[in-house]
Amino acid sequence: MKIVVLIKQVVDVELNIRVMNDALVEDGLTYVISNWDEIAIETAIQIVELVGGGSITLISIGPDRVQDALRRGLAMGADRAIHVLDAAFDGSDSFAYAKTFAKMLENQDYDIILGGKQAQDTDAGLTMSMLAEFMNLPQVTNVSKVVSVDKDKCTFHRRGDLGNEVIELSLPAVLTPNDSLFEPRMPSLRGLMMVKKKPIETVSLSDIGVDPSLVGKTGRMITVNRLIQPEDRKGGQVFEGEEEEITKQVVKLLAENEIGKESLFT
Amino acid sequence: MEKILIVAELKNDEVKKPTLEILSYAKGLGLDTSAVLIGSGIEDQAEVLAGYGAHTIYVADDPSLRLHNTFAYTEIIHEAVSQSNATQLWFTASESGADLMPRIAARMGVGAVSDITKLRVEGHAITAHHPAMSSKVIQECVFEKDEIRVLSIRGGSFEISEAETVTPNIEKVPIPKKDIRAIVQDIVTESTEGIDLTEAKVVVSVGRGVKGEEGIELVRPLVNLLGAGYGATRGACDSGWMPYAAQVGQTGKKVTPEIYIALGISGAIQHLAGMIGSKLILAVNSDPEAPIFNVADYGIVGDLYKVVPILTEEIGKTKSKSV
Repeated sequence: MKIVVLIKQVVDVELNIRVMNDALVEDGLTYVISNWDEIAIETAIQIVELVGGGSITLISIGPDRVQDALRRGLAMGADRAIHVLDAAFDGSDSFAYAKTFAKMLENQDYDIILGGKQAQDTDAGLTMSMLAEFMNLPQVTNVSKVVSVDKDKCTFHRRGDLGNEVIELSLPAVLTPNDSLFEPRMPSLRGLMMVKKKPIETVSLSDIGVDPSLVGKTGRMITVNRLIQPEDRKGGQVFEGEEEEITKQVVKLLAENEIGKESLFT
Repeated sequence: MEKILIVAELKNDEVKKPTLEILSYAKGLGLDTSAVLIGSGIEDQAEVLAGYGAHTIYVADDPSLRLHNTFAYTEIIHEAVSQSNATQLWFTASESGADLMPRIAARMGVGAVSDITKLRVEGHAITAHHPAMSSKVIQECVFEKDEIRVLSIRGGSFEISEAETVTPNIEKVPIPKKDIRAIVQDIVTESTEGIDLTEAKVVVSVGRGVKGEEGIELVRPLVNLLGAGYGATRGACDSGWMPYAAQVGQTGKKVTPEIYIALGISGAIQHLAGMIGSKLILAVNSDPEAPIFNVADYGIVGDLYKVVPILTEEIGKTKSKSV
C-alpha cells in the first residue's frame, strides 16, 4: 500500500492573530502542521497498520520552515518526505497547489492520496477535490469511518448533509478525513530519533516540471486582496451568585431586550 | 450579460432555505438566473425554484441520483453549465457543495471561493468575503481572469424574497452512466432533534459541560419550549451524547439564529466559528473564566444542572404572561 499525504504548514491560529494594514502581523506568529493534515497523517499510519504494511510519503510546499512540519510527520511515522521549495510559489491559491501536486503525483502510482479537508489558515477546503479532478480519481471527502481497505476495493463512511454515506471505493483514490476520524498521535521518543534516518528531498518547481507562471501570483485564479479583522464581539453582562436569583434576573433582562422579547417569549 | 446558475440544495426532497436565499439575492440584483435540480422524485421542486427567480431549471431526476454522488452530480452540473452558458456558478456551503464545487471548478479549469459570508457582484467582477483562521480573519477575495466564477455562499447570508407563481422552463439533463469507482451504497440518516439548525430562529446548544445523556434530557424541555434547534459542540458529539448532524462549529454547521443559548460550552474558537454570527448569545457555564463569556451578551456562571430547569420555568412563566 503506497500512500502519500499532502501537508501544509500554517500559522498557529490560536495565537497572536492580528491584522494591520490589510495583512497579518508577522510578530508573534508560530507555525504548526494544519490540524486536518495531522489527522490525514494519522489516517495514513492507521491504514498501513490495518493492511499490514505499506509506505507513507509526505509532501509539503513552502519556505525552509516547512522542514519542521515534515520532520514532525516523519516522527509520527511517515517514511519519507519531499519539500517543494521555490519562491515563485508564493501567493499561490488552492488551484495552484492542486496543479502542482497533480504534476508531482502523475505516474507515481500511489494507492491512496490523503490530505486535509481544509487548511487551518485559509479554511478554503478546495485543494484536495481539485487535485482529485485533475488526476481523474474518485474522492471521498469528510471521511468519518474506515470500514475496510483492500488493494482494489475499500469501504468508507462519509459524513454528508443527511448523515453517514456508505461508500464503496476503488483505488487509487483521494481521501480527506473529517475532524473525528482519528486523533493524531504525539511523536514518540523513538519516532523523534528515527527522523534522522528518514530522507527529506528538497525540490524546486523546475525539478518537478511545473511552469512557475502557472502558480504563485502569476498563475493563481483567486487573489486575496486584503485581510480584514472582524470586530471582536464584545461580551455583555456576566452574572455570578445564587443560581435562582441570577437566572431570574437574566430572564427579566431578556424579556426587555428587543431580540429576546421577539424570539423567546412570543 | 451575467448568467447565474445556482445548484439547488435539497433535504427530504425539498429545496432548502440557503438556496432560496441566494436565489433571492440574484433576483434582487436583476441577474439572469437559472438553477440545477438533482435527485430522485424532486422534479416538483422546479416550480419552487422558479417562484424565487430561476427562469430555467436544469433537471436530473433519477433513482440513481437519490444519494449524493460526486461523479454523477459533477457531470450533471457541468452539462447544465454548458447548456445555460452560465458566467457564474453558485453553490450553497453545504457538505455537498463543499464536495462538488472544487471538483467542477477544476473540471472547468478555474478557481473558486468557498463559504462566502458577504458578496458584491458588479457585472462579472465579484468581491467575496471568506472567513479564515477559524473566523479570526476575513479574506477579501477577487477572481483573476475572465472565466466562469464558481463560488459557494454560507446559509443565513441573505434575506429570502417573496415567492411568485411562475411556470418553470425545464431542461432535462442526461443521467450519467454509473461510475463504479465510487458507489454510494447507503446512507445512515441521523435523526436531528427539533428543527433544522441552519434555519432555526433559536438554537440551544450543549457542550461537554452537560456531562452526558442525563444532561441532554435535562435540556430537552427548554429546546421544546422554545421550538429551538438542538445543537452541540464537537466534544459533545465525540462523546456520543448528540448526533454529528447537531455539531455546530468550524467544520460542523454554521448557524446565524436570533438567539444562541450555549450550555456547558467553553467557547473554543472552532465552536465560535460556527455561531459567532448569532444576534444574541446567552451562555451558562460553571467556569467564570470560560472564553464563551467574552462573546456572550448575557452570561450566567453556575451549574447548568441547576440553572437550566430554572431557566426553562422562568421563560415558560414569562411566555404565558405575554400571551
